[in-house]
Amino acid sequence: MIALSVALLGAVALAMGLADQGPASVLRHLYLLPTLWAALTRGATGGGLVGALAGLLHAPVALPAVERDGLTSQTLDGLLSLGLPIVAGLLVGRLVDGSRARAARLAAVLAIQRRLEGPDALDDKLGAVARELYAALRARRLALLVGVNVRTAILASVPVGTLVDPDSAAAFALATGQRVSTTDLAADPRVRADEPIGSTPVRALALPLVSGAGVVGVMAVEWRGELSRAAHAAAEELAVHIGLAVENARLILRQHHFADELAEKVSAATARLRELDQAKTEFLSVVSHELRTPLTALQGFSELLLRSALTPERAQRCLVYLHTEACTLGRIVGELLDLSRIEAGRPLELKPELVDLAALIERNIEIFAAEHHEHHFRWTASGPDVMLRADPDALDRMLKNLLSNAVKYSPRGGQVCVSACPAEDQPGMIELAVEDDGVGIPADQLRRIFDKYVRVPHPETAAARGLGLGLSLVKALAEAHGGRVEVDSLPGKGSRFRLLLPEADPDF
Amino acid sequence: MRLLSSPFEPGALAPPWAPARVYAQVGGVFAMIVAAGLAWEWAGVGPSALGHALASGAVHAGLLALGWLLATDAADGWRGPVFRLGTTLVLAALAARLHPLGALVFLLVPGLLVLEARRQPRIRAIGLGGAHPAHALAGLVIGTFLGAHLLVTASRTLGYRLHVGGLPAYLSALAYDVGANALSAEWLFRGAVFSLLWRRGTFWPAALLTTALSLVRYLLDPFLPHAAEARAGAVFYLGLVGLIACALRAWSGSLLPGYLAALAFFAAYRMLAP
Repeated sequence: MIALSVALLGAVALAMGLADQGPASVLRHLYLLPTLWAALTRGATGGGLVGALAGLLHAPVALPAVERDGLTSQTLDGLLSLGLPIVAGLLVGRLVDGSRARAARLAAVLAIQRRLEGPDALDDKLGAVARELYAALRARRLALLVGVNVRTAILASVPVGTLVDPDSAAAFALATGQRVSTTDLAADPRVRADEPIGSTPVRALALPLVSGAGVVGVMAVEWRGELSRAAHAAAEELAVHIGLAVENARLILRQHHFADELAEKVSAATARLRELDQAKTEFLSVVSHELRTPLTALQGFSELLLRSALTPERAQRCLVYLHTEACTLGRIVGELLDLSRIEAGRPLELKPELVDLAALIERNIEIFAAEHHEHHFRWTASGPDVMLRADPDALDRMLKNLLSNAVKYSPRGGQVCVSACPAEDQPGMIELAVEDDGVGIPADQLRRIFDKYVRVPHPETAAARGLGLGLSLVKALAEAHGGRVEVDSLPGKGSRFRLLLPEADPDF
Repeated sequence: MRLLSSPFEPGALAPPWAPARVYAQVGGVFAMIVAAGLAWEWAGVGPSALGHALASGAVHAGLLALGWLLATDAADGWRGPVFRLGTTLVLAALAARLHPLGALVFLLVPGLLVLEARRQPRIRAIGLGGAHPAHALAGLVIGTFLGAHLLVTASRTLGYRLHVGGLPAYLSALAYDVGANALSAEWLFRGAVFSLLWRRGTFWPAALLTTALSLVRYLLDPFLPHAAEARAGAVFYLGLVGLIACALRAWSGSLLPGYLAALAFFAAYRMLAP
């Protein structure tokens, strides 16, 4: 383009020489054409250069006339024609440069916003943004450091592979929010570097990226050679846009993250509700079955007593069966009542009194040993008699539930160990532990076993009866006493339930 | 990237400038030599033309010395190079006055300057490194164009004519430009002063101030023609040459293109006679 303009200038000069009409020749205005063309295509540099060339070409025509005729209107016009192309070239070129710079800045801002809007991770997006800025600012080197702490901030640089010193100018700008500007990085006494000073200055800017949340990062730019005021202003403007765009991107990412988390929670809650619904359905079926079994027995034995003339021994045996099944029915109904109380959010009614824990355990072990001949029960107590202040019925039910589970989920011939002692790791608490060597509980099921209606399926114990309420009642009763229940279990090795209850006040 | 990788001390201050005493000493010595040369010429004692040569050589030697001090901030070891360069320049000026071939001694000065500068790494910062051939060619083309333009304008406007007063004299003048006139101007103004100012600011103020200083130096030169049109021409053309040399220095990072432009321009200028 410049070559074409220079050729046109030569053509105009030749035409003026051939026409020989002096400095006032109308052809002199033609110098403006290549000048404006150069200004429009090459900006102020091109316009100024071709304008100066036009002035120089016109000088040998205009100046002799001044020498010959002095300052007349014609010679003044010739002199004006000397400077006019330069002025026009520079002014038009400057306007062109300004509008191009503005357009480039806007394009860069748009491109950066589009890059940051994307779904990629912030690191990847910053790399693309750094490349956009590098091109838009025509920088020698450019880096974006995003984050509030220089050690953890994300770095994107062009060219890639920049080290970050925690005492660097960029770190200073990040920490203080103050910009760092230098007209020559190599000669700046504030920047410690052992490199020699180059023949061309390296201009540098470290601009804090500021958003509503404060300083969110730093844009560091280095230019080699001249740094125009327009480029400086463009860097400042882009830093403002990037600060806001980065903050927006972070908010969008956070929003996405939050939405994902929410969706995950909703999905988990839905799954849990489905599980509960299914468990309740199963529960109803189990409850019907569990209620029907003692009821059938009650009906059968009562009919036998009514219709048949039984010997006193047989009648006595029937009455024992009737009593046992009535107790089972009573226990089930009691558990259901407790459950409805817990679900309604009403506190369990407790009648606390001093309970001899050893006696309670011994009695229950006797009962269970009598019912389950195949299992071996062992009871160990450490130290003096352990006294608890608790509701004896509730404590009895808790122990029975734990023993019942131990029997249900351990094979015939299995061992059930019960122990009671002050908890070593929990001062002021009494530990009542029931341990079996049964099927154990998988780790992923451990958190669920104290929930209502939950029964952990296992092929070896599928026939075991139960409502799935025992452990949830134990938990509720323990908490009502100010204690808690814990479990350790290994599949195939067995389980150990640990009931922790507050020790009785010795002054009570 | 030094903004990220180099330690930064916000309160660090630039080292103090070399004491003015050093500049005064060097300037004083060369001013005395110039004065002695002018006094010799004025007194007309013996070959008084040698007094003129002594003063001329001392002026350029002083400019080179000033450039050296500015470029190195009068770092240790400046006395040796300044003395050797100054002595060579003064001897070259005297030799040129004694015999036309004596001007060839001027041709030693650029080489000596490069040799001396190689021992001082800070000198590279003023643009003493080599230039890309395209940049050097651009400097030659621009200098030739301005020189040709000067010839056309001066001959058409002022009635000057092309006159090469004998090849030895012409070559002697060219040698003077190579080793003293253009060299000292590029070394001091486009090298030390422009680099110093540009490094601390932007191009245009640095280029305009540097060019103004170099014009002052030409206008104060007692050995140049004093006619009004000659001074106007010097301001116009040397201003242009100076600005273009600054632009070439900034564009190429080297003093060579501007130096070649100045040499090409002066090569044309030396052909002109009233």
